[in-house]
Amino acid sequence: MKTLEVSNIYKKFGDNQAVNNVSFSVEKGELFGLLGPNGAGKTTTIRILLDIFKADAGSVSLLGGPMTDEKKNRIGYLPEERGLYQDITVERCLSFLASLKGLEGPEAKKRIDAYMERFDLTAHRRKKVKELSKGMQQKAQLIATLVHQPEVIIIDEPFSALDPVNTQMVKDLLNEEREKGTTIVMCTHQMHQVEELCDRLVLINKGQVVLYGSLQEVRAPFASRDLLVRSPHPLPEKIAGVERVEPNTNHVRLLLTPEATPQSVLKTLVELNVPLESFEVAVPTLDEIFIQVVQRQAETAAA
Amino acid sequence: MKKTLRVFLNELINTITKRSFIISMVMGPIIGVIVFLVVSALNQDSPNIVSEVFMPDPNAKMVMQGYVDEAGLIKAVPEEMGKGLKAYPDEAAARAALQADEINAFYRLPADYLEKKQVYYIREDFNPFGGMMQSDSFMSLLDYNVLGQDPLLLTRVSNPLMNQEVVNLAPEDPQTQRSEDNIMTFMLPYAVTMLFYSMIMASASLMANSITTEKQNRVMEILLVAVTPAQMLAGKILALGVAGLAQMVFWMGSGYALLLVSGSAFNLGAAFSLPLSFLAWGLLFFLLGYFLYASLMAGVGAMVPNLRETSQATMILVVPLIIPLAMIGSIIEMPNSPLSIGLSLFPLTAPVTMMTRMAATQVPLWQLLAAVVLLVGTIALLIRGVAGLFRAQTLLSGQAFSIKLFFKALFLKA
Repeated sequence: MKTLEVSNIYKKFGDNQAVNNVSFSVEKGELFGLLGPNGAGKTTTIRILLDIFKADAGSVSLLGGPMTDEKKNRIGYLPEERGLYQDITVERCLSFLASLKGLEGPEAKKRIDAYMERFDLTAHRRKKVKELSKGMQQKAQLIATLVHQPEVIIIDEPFSALDPVNTQMVKDLLNEEREKGTTIVMCTHQMHQVEELCDRLVLINKGQVVLYGSLQEVRAPFASRDLLVRSPHPLPEKIAGVERVEPNTNHVRLLLTPEATPQSVLKTLVELNVPLESFEVAVPTLDEIFIQVVQRQAETAAA
Repeated sequence: MKKTLRVFLNELINTITKRSFIISMVMGPIIGVIVFLVVSALNQDSPNIVSEVFMPDPNAKMVMQGYVDEAGLIKAVPEEMGKGLKAYPDEAAARAALQADEINAFYRLPADYLEKKQVYYIREDFNPFGGMMQSDSFMSLLDYNVLGQDPLLLTRVSNPLMNQEVVNLAPEDPQTQRSEDNIMTFMLPYAVTMLFYSMIMASASLMANSITTEKQNRVMEILLVAVTPAQMLAGKILALGVAGLAQMVFWMGSGYALLLVSGSAFNLGAAFSLPLSFLAWGLLFFLLGYFLYASLMAGVGAMVPNLRETSQATMILVVPLIIPLAMIGSIIEMPNSPLSIGLSLFPLTAPVTMMTRMAATQVPLWQLLAAVVLLVGTIALLIRGVAGLFRAQTLLSGQAFSIKLFFKALFLKA
């Protein structure tokens, strides 16, 4: 069942075509990555999904149809530019934001208290937001996103400016929400985070979709026939099935002949008694894939 | 509706718990009390501490000035005119007296004074405002002698309209019975004008500040995922209106209470008591003025990116509100002149000017109703325009304020 379906959306600001025919869908309970470099059109796309901006053309179906007032209460949003009222207490700020999502009274207080306890904010509840550290404000912002137990969470650059401890905390939280069945759309330009967390992804560049699918599906067309091998001894100059050997700093890259497979080369190395510390297929990272795609796009445009 | 109510409550609590709001709420009546204490003390016939402080006895310290009459015009010096004046036979004697600090300045009437109309005022220090310290005694003495030493003629020449009696053909109205010499004739409309100006200005400015702060705090994007721009605009306008109204009621209530408990100290007479209908019209014009300027300020808040730009934009937009302040003397003196009537009907100046006029005279009912109708129409037009400006795209962006861009955006949407 699709929680979110985006069909051929367009958005233009002046002369800038920020979003150009973008389509993708997100399944229920999925952690979906919306990727792209800075200025690719990710935030505009998110704002269209949330009905903050109206698309010039195309449609968005969220939780089974267009956005309604009632649906807004079922969505949790963490914007890239974090925002909280600075001059009121953390507790009052969170209560107000929760009330806008339809969560009020003792239940709101109970949940806010529980989250504050979990995020070590209880001692700071009566402080003004501006008196909190940046990390604490990030935590408060996360509470505002999650406190009403949304069915869909949309988070824009959730790891920006976070230290490793807080980054891990956010990752744990996202995994926890996914286990609960919450649908999550994570927007980021940090490709490695998507590789680690997301089930599927869409990659946008200059407002257009350039890659879309599961990690495997995205990687498949870019999968190389290279192997990365590390050995304490130099490798033999001639290895059956290997066209070329390229030594790198930490490993040796083996470029295979068309008829060879990683298994056949591994068998050959074992037969040659080559001691191996590591042996892996050189899977391209999303960063590498992205660079290839962008370069290909530029070449096509130049041609 | 529920979300509008939540925005309303949040905005109201945020506003009324602000230190600046509480201070201005309390300071208003305190300043009012001080002003009225001074004014009523000045008005009382019997001398008191306040009147002594503000109106020192002119005879307490006599400033001696000299004169040298080379023209030979001053032939007689009545005793009451000669106080503080000393005659010298020539300039040298007068200069010697000046150096000896017997006098602080002297006049010299040259022999050809009548032909050349030239007179000299000689003092030791340089002071561009020294003329303000000259006593009227020498002028009166000169007039007296030039007019043939006739005290009656002197009185009529120096104040030809003294003891005039004003005959009102209009129906009797306590407000028309105000004495021109009573300081309250000016002070009452002035106080009302200042009250209305500051209240409308303060409440409307809160609107622009509130929106800009939310933009700067980046809360705007979070809010827009929960409420519509229209819900936000409605909640804010209502909340700040209620806050302003509460402040106004508190100020007026505390003022009234002070009048009641202070008894004769504030007894300004029937001519200066404002009727209850004034309060009702006051509330109406305050609300209309607030809605008008709050709508404009909401548009400003939606457009500009930060508080600095907001202040600049606010300064430009409140110019019409300042016009009645700049022309207050004319409005109070001639409340029924075409200019006063025009300003009290023009929607941007109407809220303040109408209240000034109402405090100064009796305004015909048709003018009050016309001003209300014009204001309501303008507000309806403005709210339509601002609602168009109050879109997510504008709220999440921001540009330098330009009055041309602002009105273009406002009225193209209206």
